[in-house]
Amino acid sequence: MKFLNKSIEEIHESLKNDEVTSQELVQESIQKSKELQEKCNAFVTIIEDAKGVSVTENLLSGIPYGVKDNYSTKDVLSTGSSNTLADYVPFFTATSVQHLKDAGAVMVNKTAMDEFGMGGTGTTAHTGVIRNPWDVTRMCAGSSSGSAAAVAYGVYPYALGSDTGDSIRKPAAYCGIVGYKPTYGLISRYGLFPFASSLDHCGVLTRSVRDAAIVVDTMKGQDKYDMTSWDSSSVHLFEATKKPLLGKKLCYIKELCDIKNFPDATDELKDHLANFFKTVELCKELGLEVEEVSIDQTLLNASASVYVVLSCAEATSNLSNLTGIIFGKRGEGNTWKEMMMDHRTKGFSPLIKRRFVIGSYVLQKENQERYFKNAARVRRLLVDTWKNLFQTYDAVILPVGIGPAKPLEGSKEMIGKMSEELQALDEHLQIGNFGGFPSITIPNGFVNGLPVGVNLTSNCKEDELLLNIAYHLESKMPYKGQTCEVKKNEL
Amino acid sequence: MNYKAVIGLEMHCELKSNSKVFSSAKNGYSEIPNEFVRPVDMAFPGSLPVVNKKCVKDALKMSLALNCTQPEYMYFDRKNYYYPDLPKGYQITQMESPVGINGKTIIELNGKEIPVYIHDIHLEEDAASLDHYYSTSCIDYNRAGVPLLELVTEPCLSSADEAVAFLEHMRSIYQFCDVSEGDTKKGQIRCDVNVSIMEEDDKEFGTRVEIKNVNSFGGVHDAIEYEIKRQSTLKREGRYNEVEQETRRWDEETQSTIHMRSKVDAVDYKYFVEPNIPKYKITKEWLEEIKKEIPELPLECKHKYMEKYGLSDYDASVIIKEKDYVDYYEECLSLGIDAKTGSNWLTTQILGEINHEEISLKDFYVTPKLLKQIVDATKEGTISSKQAKEIFLKSCTEKKEPKSYMSQENAQISDENELNQIVGSIMERSQTQIEQYKNGKTNLFDYFVGQVMKETRGKANPVLTKEIITKYLNS
Amino acid sequence: MSKFTKEMVDDYAKKLLISLTDEENKMVLDEFEYIDESINVINKIEGIEKVEPMTHTLDDFTFELREDEVEESIPIEELLRNADETDGREIEVVKVVGE
Repeated sequence: MKFLNKSIEEIHESLKNDEVTSQELVQESIQKSKELQEKCNAFVTIIEDAKGVSVTENLLSGIPYGVKDNYSTKDVLSTGSSNTLADYVPFFTATSVQHLKDAGAVMVNKTAMDEFGMGGTGTTAHTGVIRNPWDVTRMCAGSSSGSAAAVAYGVYPYALGSDTGDSIRKPAAYCGIVGYKPTYGLISRYGLFPFASSLDHCGVLTRSVRDAAIVVDTMKGQDKYDMTSWDSSSVHLFEATKKPLLGKKLCYIKELCDIKNFPDATDELKDHLANFFKTVELCKELGLEVEEVSIDQTLLNASASVYVVLSCAEATSNLSNLTGIIFGKRGEGNTWKEMMMDHRTKGFSPLIKRRFVIGSYVLQKENQERYFKNAARVRRLLVDTWKNLFQTYDAVILPVGIGPAKPLEGSKEMIGKMSEELQALDEHLQIGNFGGFPSITIPNGFVNGLPVGVNLTSNCKEDELLLNIAYHLESKMPYKGQTCEVKKNEL
Repeated sequence: MNYKAVIGLEMHCELKSNSKVFSSAKNGYSEIPNEFVRPVDMAFPGSLPVVNKKCVKDALKMSLALNCTQPEYMYFDRKNYYYPDLPKGYQITQMESPVGINGKTIIELNGKEIPVYIHDIHLEEDAASLDHYYSTSCIDYNRAGVPLLELVTEPCLSSADEAVAFLEHMRSIYQFCDVSEGDTKKGQIRCDVNVSIMEEDDKEFGTRVEIKNVNSFGGVHDAIEYEIKRQSTLKREGRYNEVEQETRRWDEETQSTIHMRSKVDAVDYKYFVEPNIPKYKITKEWLEEIKKEIPELPLECKHKYMEKYGLSDYDASVIIKEKDYVDYYEECLSLGIDAKTGSNWLTTQILGEINHEEISLKDFYVTPKLLKQIVDATKEGTISSKQAKEIFLKSCTEKKEPKSYMSQENAQISDENELNQIVGSIMERSQTQIEQYKNGKTNLFDYFVGQVMKETRGKANPVLTKEIITKYLNS
Repeated sequence: MSKFTKEMVDDYAKKLLISLTDEENKMVLDEFEYIDESINVINKIEGIEKVEPMTHTLDDFTFELREDEVEESIPIEELLRNADETDGREIEVVKVVGE
């Protein structure tokens, strides 16, 4: 009997009715983890001695889940998928993980990721390439690659992710599941290894909008250890998914959705965009107005560079604590500088090192105005543009990426590989991080036999409205709860 | 020929608080390494800074006391560099929006008032401390995250004396405002000094040399003098181009400044706004509240003591040197001790004693209340001023109330009957002298007093003794 | 002639206490070229210099400062358990001299 491919509410029912015990669920989850590890290399750690717990009224109690390896977990290896922290065992637990633990949720593994969340391919983890369970020649995208693979494979109903550019929402699309990044500060970042603090968000990957709501309801809350967290005691996401449709108007952006804007479009992109407009029609069937809006192409094209400049700059500073002095393998050398250099050179993947150099360059005194400050200015322009849209629209709806999961072959990540227009489409989710907007990806079909996703993004602190709309849209489509083993449209 | 020196100071001062500035670990000194550490103090991955309200308040207090402009929104910046004592790889400080800019304070030197202009004052965190051994160094994170207030002056000082006067002035303001102990011995105050020289009528400043980490006021004085001399010599010899824009350090042992790094090697700290600390609105109401907590500052006290209580410039200057002294003195005044008497006791006996004992005035046994017993007894004439001093010292060493010495055998004989008897018996055997006195040899009065003192081993109440003798002689 | 050079990239890397292979260095140079071009586009956006740089994600000033209360220190064995070299209660490093 399999339970872990079901929804949280269904599993909870089964636990309550004694159809299964928490311990049995944990065993099933560990078994599935091992299978997936063989297949896709999705984990840094499988917690083989994880124990079931007694089941309470709490929906999450007794149910296994996974944690991205950049969350600090007391007494459990937490590497951020980096060699710099290959043996790091923290003495404290991230606030959001602690909330889940307090609710009775059982952590069964730590999922592999792009090193420290930097990267979107799932290929830079120190434990090796992470593969997409739908098609192991494809990537999961990143950086929450292992979490996405595990949820899509039915290892458990949810896994934690983090999202600095699109690190929850892109892998969710590539793996045919739901990825939700709430408003900045809804979930405490205390215990999340930082990549770019002003863009980093905690969030969750699930197989349904309602499951995402249930999990984030538990993870969230103001935290005295994170000054940027805020009081959300009046926010009830699960309840919001039970209400009739609250939204009225959506918009999509012409420059990102119109096939005419991509003269060299592949068939996958054409199908992807066509599929997107089918979803737009479903929205209309739901009773939502959906309008096309036009945004300055220059601004849209600038987004990717803004992201690179800001995220690299913050990252080079945030990861300066990784010197192998207090934690991490001690480097060799005759001076402290040589020791740190040895540690950092051996510990970081080439991608991160390149990003550091870029981040450092844009922060140099003589360059800061031209690069870093101007990027921060365009960030504001983009955010203001979106906030302006939210004056009229409840959410912006857009396709995720330029198609289904990309092949792993030839996936080396380089800034500036695509045309600007294409890149703008591939990376627009970053704007959700610029503004701290709540943003959710849900599966909306298949292209080339592989899942694709659609994204909804709302204004800050409108998480209830966003999840309400997403829930109703999801209910119009057959992909809710799908795993890579059971494509829901083939049922 | 002498050149004009242009000096600017950066003064770092540790603030008093229960917990550190960005972490809730205790802010305190401990012999036990790593006793006061929270995750952020050692930069464990995922830890975040959380700003201590009291530190911000005290920083704003100083900003107000120095007549600075406060920002509408306060935030912090990261100063990025690598060093073993800096666990995060950056220091959280304030660059773009410090707690105070464009301030001014008046210092006094040799009776002259000199304005000193403040470029800015900002709140930041201290680094860890390194203990050096033969071939290793050990890192103690107790100090990491301790609140520091850094004050940067404009280059407006012109001599080593002025610089030291400013530092002393600032230290007493910190102490007066109760934001820091300002103890240089504990390393709570550390300075960087900028020195350049120029011709009297030059329009532009000369080449600026920075001297880092001078940890005593004496060191600041000597470093400045040394640097002015070094630069002047080069200039005089026509080798001024050898003065380079550089960072030097003060070497106590050789009493000289030593080259550390040139400007070309200057570290680019890649400052940027700390994203984990949201912008914080500083309300007018809060500033008003804080303003009310600023006490009378030293120079104000000094003026008051001189004008209202008639103290000398010297005495008033001594009292305002430390907040403890002023507190002590003000308590004396409020207990009704005469202003000058109190000042005399404080500036001579009391300061002498605490310096001798190497204790702080706060821990001194003879509190103003106890001092009042001595002062009152002297005033009433129950003890002589010589006895007063003796009782004071006894009270200090034996830690007993001054009163207790006044009633014991050592105490003065003030009993009129007892003195009457003593004077009576002396008079009986001094008939010759009485005759001579009555015949006009009035300076013999002192002879009688002397006899009484001899008899009583100096314990006779002098005022009463004189009264009784007069009575006898006039009878 | 590009304003970005191999030496420059190596110098930046050195200051970050990392070293790059020649291949990595070359990739950084290519990326620099791309970023620089994009920044040129950004710099052409009208009125860009008047925009206040966005430094924080939420600017609604609902945040509070912490009261000055002490929390228990972390036990020493936890602080040191991930350090490779320690001496007593301290982290040990090769002797730190100069800068």
